[in-house]
Amino acid sequence: MMRNDPIKHVFIWPAVLVVLAISIFPLIYSLTTSFLSYRLIPPMPPRVVWLGNYIQLLQEPRFWNAILTTTLIAVTAVGLQYVIGFAVALALNARIPGERLFRVAFLLPMLLAPVAVALVARMMFNPTMGPLNQLLGHFGLVNLPFLTNGRWALACIIAVEVWQWTPFVILMLLAGLQTLPEDIYEAAELENASNWQQFWGITFPMMLPISAAVVFIRLIESYKIMDTVFVMTGGGPGVDTETLTLFAYQEGFKKFNLGYTSALSFLFLIAITIIGVTYLALLRPHLEKRR
Amino acid sequence: MLRRTLLMLATSLVTVYAVGDAKAACSPDYSGVTLTVATQTGPYIASALKLGADEWSKKTCGKVNVVEFPWSELYPKIATSLTSGDATFDMVSFAPAWLPDFVPYLTEMPKDMQSGKDWDDIEPAYRERLMVWDGKIYSQSMDGDVHTYTYRKDLFDDPKEKDAFKAKYGYDLAPPKTWKQYLDIAEFFQRPDKGLWGTAEAFRRGGQQFWFFFSHAAAYTNNPNYPGAMFFDPETMDAQINNPGWVKGLEEYIRASKLGPPNALNFSFGEVNAAVAGGQVAESIGWGDTGVIAADPKQSKISGKVGSAVLPGSDEIWNAKTKKWDKFPEVLPGPFMAFGGWQIAVPKAGKNQQAAWDFVKTLTSPEVSGQAAITGGTGVNPYRKSHTANLELWSKIFTPQEAKEYLGAQADSINGKNVALDMRLPGYFSYTEVVEIELGKALAGQTTPQAALDAMAKEWNRLTDEFGRDKQLAAYRAAMGLPPKK
Repeated sequence: MMRNDPIKHVFIWPAVLVVLAISIFPLIYSLTTSFLSYRLIPPMPPRVVWLGNYIQLLQEPRFWNAILTTTLIAVTAVGLQYVIGFAVALALNARIPGERLFRVAFLLPMLLAPVAVALVARMMFNPTMGPLNQLLGHFGLVNLPFLTNGRWALACIIAVEVWQWTPFVILMLLAGLQTLPEDIYEAAELENASNWQQFWGITFPMMLPISAAVVFIRLIESYKIMDTVFVMTGGGPGVDTETLTLFAYQEGFKKFNLGYTSALSFLFLIAITIIGVTYLALLRPHLEKRR
Repeated sequence: MLRRTLLMLATSLVTVYAVGDAKAACSPDYSGVTLTVATQTGPYIASALKLGADEWSKKTCGKVNVVEFPWSELYPKIATSLTSGDATFDMVSFAPAWLPDFVPYLTEMPKDMQSGKDWDDIEPAYRERLMVWDGKIYSQSMDGDVHTYTYRKDLFDDPKEKDAFKAKYGYDLAPPKTWKQYLDIAEFFQRPDKGLWGTAEAFRRGGQQFWFFFSHAAAYTNNPNYPGAMFFDPETMDAQINNPGWVKGLEEYIRASKLGPPNALNFSFGEVNAAVAGGQVAESIGWGDTGVIAADPKQSKISGKVGSAVLPGSDEIWNAKTKKWDKFPEVLPGPFMAFGGWQIAVPKAGKNQQAAWDFVKTLTSPEVSGQAAITGGTGVNPYRKSHTANLELWSKIFTPQEAKEYLGAQADSINGKNVALDMRLPGYFSYTEVVEIELGKALAGQTTPQAALDAMAKEWNRLTDEFGRDKQLAAYRAAMGLPPKK
């Protein structure tokens, strides 16, 4: 087939139209809705408010609280996942006895549905019936307000996130570690480099590209956290654990405030894009050095 | 050959007769019809629907599929289904406060159901108010809901406790007339070292929390001198939720949270019932389920010792018009029709509307609903005159004294002169969401009661303006039983 053969349009355009229909159109429709005051309950006819929804959101303390909460959960949880995940991946890569069993056991949390994990966690942290407080009570200690105090509730959510998603980090980093060439380590040992020196001089820099990718994926995923928070705290107490997605859910599916929710979704998209671009910009010099 | 033919003929005749007989048993005949009803996760209400479903199936040969959703998800599930016009649900059960939001998508109750003995048997508070919107009947009450007071008679009747209480507070230990007395009693029985706490109420966001707060505030804000002004000024639609009456109510609600079992802040109504039935608390407030569950020896450690009374009240009530406290010669009890009792309705999009209304008729008949009302865990509380009049029915679960107090508290609350009606407004969820959020902050000590209530009032006024002040005012006046504003 010639490069300029018009038949190519017959093959390309149906695909382009399908893509337009299923992804671009909803996006444009949603963007249009974000400029409207549009409620399903109580039913109100759509009214153009231009940037009104965006301005209202940016002036809304609850929106900034949701951004802060989401960022706190995402950054802390992903940071801990990376550190713990790297340590466990190194241990598994060192071919310790029973390594296969550990590998399977460590992966189990990731295979569970987040809703089920959150439900189990809610029971574990239950202030009166949960085993954790019962254990504390057994030792004569006071019950801790795991899910009824804002800070404790945030810590519990982060703990569950770390427990569930560290296996993903382990899996990815372990795969990366297994591709590192052995001869560099042999050379380092000949130079009497300590394990610590080998880690910082060889392992960590060589793992930087895959680390960057893993952290990026987890960061984006963590910003979308919804199910764990929804089941464990419902965003409470007050709005102390309310994340952006939960806020959007409350506005969209409980108050049926469609225009406002669309604006919120687009601000969320912008925030994620800024975070992603900043993250990649900060890492670029280090990554380019490795090329 | 002849024998074989005769045998076949006889078999055919028997089959035809049997089928005919079965058909005759189905009256009206809805065999082959399966209805779907949406409700909250059981056992409350869902088990009552299943009880009704069994009866209806026996009568009509139809089937009913009860689909359950968690309480916090019920509103969005029903609203999404109704607004999209799909026929997923033949019936929906919901809070009366949601009726204004759902009305455009519901069918009117058939006229033949709006008269007769069974119709007149429904308490007027439900028949004439909660089932009505814009002068039309769109739903049927399947539960009666008013908050009442429950206490442990064994503690209140103990001479040692009585003497000690009188010595400490200077008056007799008895069901409280005022909220101050209610808190005194809770404080008196607060004995964590003995596994006994003062009171239990719902404080958890999404756990029916704000109705308990409303019950406290009703005593100080539902002023008979200016009716219908508890939530909004019925003349201007200005939010009243931050007036001094509400502040007093919130302060006492917060105080009650500190006189409950550990982590009471995580209590929904289910935990309240468990605490009462477990004998952990001396008193509590809540719906009628508490008394029924506490009386059931299978579920309760205090059966035979359950006392009931009308909610405490006040002799001082804030007047939203004069912006002053009105002093009354005696304490006015403050019953509050919290939630108002589950409603069941038939969506316009439903494909089996006739069968659905027939099911509603069976479900809410005096016989079936009476049985549900005395069955612990169904969540059905009295809403018919026959429910509270039939002492024999209640003697199955209560002692005579318990039954007398329980039914007396229910009837006196519903028919109380100053009974406060719950808020019903279009956009209800938007109004109550901010209440839940700010209550959470106030209960956690992150904000003062006044600041929390100011935030609620600000948002309520903003929402009212957004939804249309005149429209909301008209709806609010109708919900409060006031004539349209000229």
